[in-house]
Amino acid sequence: MLIKYFATFRDLTGELSRKLDESPATIADLLELLSVRYGKAFRGAVFDDGALSSLLILLVNGRNVRLTGGLSTPLSPTDEVSVFPMVAGG
Amino acid sequence: MNGWTGTTLRVDLGRGTITREPTNMKVAHDYIGARGMGVKIISDEVDPHADALGPDNKLIFAPGPLTGTFAPSAGRYNVVTKSPLNGVIAGSNSGGVFGPELKFAGYDALIIEGQAKKPVFLWIKDDVVEIRDASSLWGMTVADTTEALREKTEPDAKVACIGPAGENLSLIASIMNEMHRAAGRTGVGAVMGSKKLKAIAVVGTGAITVADPVAFKAAVMDSRDKIHANPVGGAGLKAYGTDVLVNILNQSGALPVNNYQDAYSPVADKIGGESLAANQLVRPKGCFACVISCGRATKVTNPLYAGVGEGPEYESAWAFGVDSGIDNLDAIIKANYLCNEYGLDTISMGATIACAMELYELGLLTKKDTDGLDLSFGNVASMVEMVRKTGVGEGFGKRLAAGSYRLAESVGRADLSMTVKKQEMPAYDPRGVQGIGLNYATNNRGGCHVRGYTIAVEVLGQGAPTDPHATEGKAALGVAFQDLTSALDSTGSCLFATFGIGGAELASMLSALTGVEYSVDDFMKAGARVFNLERLWNLKVGYTAADDTLPPRILTEPIKTGPSKGEVNHLEEMLPEYYSLRGWDENGVPTPAKLAELSL
Amino acid sequence: MSKMLMIYPNKCTGCHNCELACSFEHEGSFRPGATRVHTFTWEREGFSVPLMCQQCDDAACVNVCPTGAMHQGPAGSNLVEFSQDLCIGCKLCVIACPFGSVRYDSVAKSIAKCDTCGGAPQCVAMCPSGALEFVEDAEQTRSRKQVIADKFKTIFEDVN
Repeated sequence: MLIKYFATFRDLTGELSRKLDESPATIADLLELLSVRYGKAFRGAVFDDGALSSLLILLVNGRNVRLTGGLSTPLSPTDEVSVFPMVAGG
Repeated sequence: MNGWTGTTLRVDLGRGTITREPTNMKVAHDYIGARGMGVKIISDEVDPHADALGPDNKLIFAPGPLTGTFAPSAGRYNVVTKSPLNGVIAGSNSGGVFGPELKFAGYDALIIEGQAKKPVFLWIKDDVVEIRDASSLWGMTVADTTEALREKTEPDAKVACIGPAGENLSLIASIMNEMHRAAGRTGVGAVMGSKKLKAIAVVGTGAITVADPVAFKAAVMDSRDKIHANPVGGAGLKAYGTDVLVNILNQSGALPVNNYQDAYSPVADKIGGESLAANQLVRPKGCFACVISCGRATKVTNPLYAGVGEGPEYESAWAFGVDSGIDNLDAIIKANYLCNEYGLDTISMGATIACAMELYELGLLTKKDTDGLDLSFGNVASMVEMVRKTGVGEGFGKRLAAGSYRLAESVGRADLSMTVKKQEMPAYDPRGVQGIGLNYATNNRGGCHVRGYTIAVEVLGQGAPTDPHATEGKAALGVAFQDLTSALDSTGSCLFATFGIGGAELASMLSALTGVEYSVDDFMKAGARVFNLERLWNLKVGYTAADDTLPPRILTEPIKTGPSKGEVNHLEEMLPEYYSLRGWDENGVPTPAKLAELSL
Repeated sequence: MSKMLMIYPNKCTGCHNCELACSFEHEGSFRPGATRVHTFTWEREGFSVPLMCQQCDDAACVNVCPTGAMHQGPAGSNLVEFSQDLCIGCKLCVIACPFGSVRYDSVAKSIAKCDTCGGAPQCVAMCPSGALEFVEDAEQTRSRKQVIADKFKTIFEDVN
């Protein structure tokens, strides 16, 4: 599973992307795993009181997770996940 | 008079006459100002069949009632005229500080008529208005013109001008103000050039008064708070600029590559906003009364492309970047700076080069055509040189200066020009995002994203979760965005204020400022009125439902790689519902009932 | 504790919100001549800076004023006050100010000089970029020192 980071998430994680050894089953599991790795600031940026933060755009193979079940979106080991803060228009 | 100034300035460059007349306040109330007021005046006063580059076309510079106040990010003005590129009523929108200065000078609109015999510039200081000789300025770049005019007039003069591209009547020429801000699209620079009007320099010392100062301030502070709370309007755009969209669109599989031959690039990150912020960004910039600061003051130190200026925006980075097979951000920024200096629309310029590249690779253009330059996709040096040639009107640049439609048509492949109504589509592939395709096909000036920016909902997470690959609901979304934008464009507000506020907040500010009560319904209706009036003009010019379409590639060639692989645009699933929701018949003609409802 | 207006030119985006706020606060309308703060912009380089009265301790405008219309405010106020009712419009203060921060507004027919809006400066309130701040004496340079302090912290953490 490949996780790509963009905009402010590059500062939060210190990385452009990460290939995971683990295989989280859902988006919730993935975000929990990443929050443990990257810390409080990252956790605060992806979770809002346990729910998926509304300030996030999360794409799994290009599909927005809000269309596929949000936190319960299932993941498979070959998926590519892109993490964006809500940043722009134009 | 509150908000509006109540005075319109009319200048006939042929006769040399200058008239200050009362603004038609019924028009102001019904069409608000800026885009709407300009559209109404062109519609009433210009023959749809007039030569856009002839003496009968009129060129209008119109700020809106909010322009010049501290309504957040509402310091814009519109340039409205018959487009020489495609015959529509061109309404090109620009920021900076020029529009507010026209208001302080006392004008709701400046209408330029006729044509001067020799190059002139217009000097406006409040009610002193003079047509002055500009022969020594003709041929100058935009920045040099701006500085020269301040020496000729006053150090604080605000200047809107054309560069050599507009002088040479390039159909993709822009009008620039404050050196780096552009009324970019639909060839408005060529109209100014055809009138031999090099520039307008203005100083204003008057007051814009407010009908209800307490209510206005409250409405303004409420709008400011909402924009600030929005992650895009409040922080995102300031940190990264619009260029941050490169990666979002790429990861969604809707970033057009190589003249729309594909919609995903593995090297897109090199030209995105993150890269720009790390390498060439000097500081954010804001237009008049702006609270968002999406502007980028930038600097390139690479000696091949060295320079200082503003930009690039997302569209510009895309057009000179992946659309042309290029991933060198320094070179892209140089191309952007050249466009600002020569006065060229960056979207149409880059997309025209991309089209030329595809034609070259197919052998339909050869080195004999391209002045010996290899115009393959990815050739950075050729791309930059082609911008320069277009800017000065040299060699192959003369053909590029007419835009991609005429270029492709000249070799028998108009289908390879990625245009709608002859204007180049911007940086969102409709095969990857269905609703923006409907907007490209139906908005009145052709390939354009800003006039119905459904991307905000389909990709950027504003509003309810919406599937970019679905067509359901996109007709209604499109109508709502187009009408709101038409109304917003008529107030003087920046489109980006919609990252935070909508029709309700704009109507509140407008009502408190002008003393004329606009409900949200009145406001949206004014927007629909403007949009329908533009449509009626297009029908008179000869556009039909057949022109509400997309290039064959978009409708029939599936995307090759990336997250939207295999997709095409299903316009046929959205267009009939769009016509119906608009109150138009199946030929896209507004019904009598609709016209009556809008008092048209 | 008196306050002063701090300017951070590197944060200025050239938006003119400060000028609009000033004009609106003093006049209820938007007029370039009414603003006591002025923003200067260099377009080629994309640099802007707002400027207003520095409320000098030894103020040229106070020294030259024949009627006392321009006078120092109460002790600790950090303010050069202007009393309209004492002003005869001689404009010597305009000539004397080395910063060009006192202007004669010929439309309003009065001297225009920053008065910090009675202690709640509107330019500060409306600046979207933090380029203007109204800060206590003790805090005035804190944010700039903080930037340098952070850099030292990073260096010494790396070394140790």
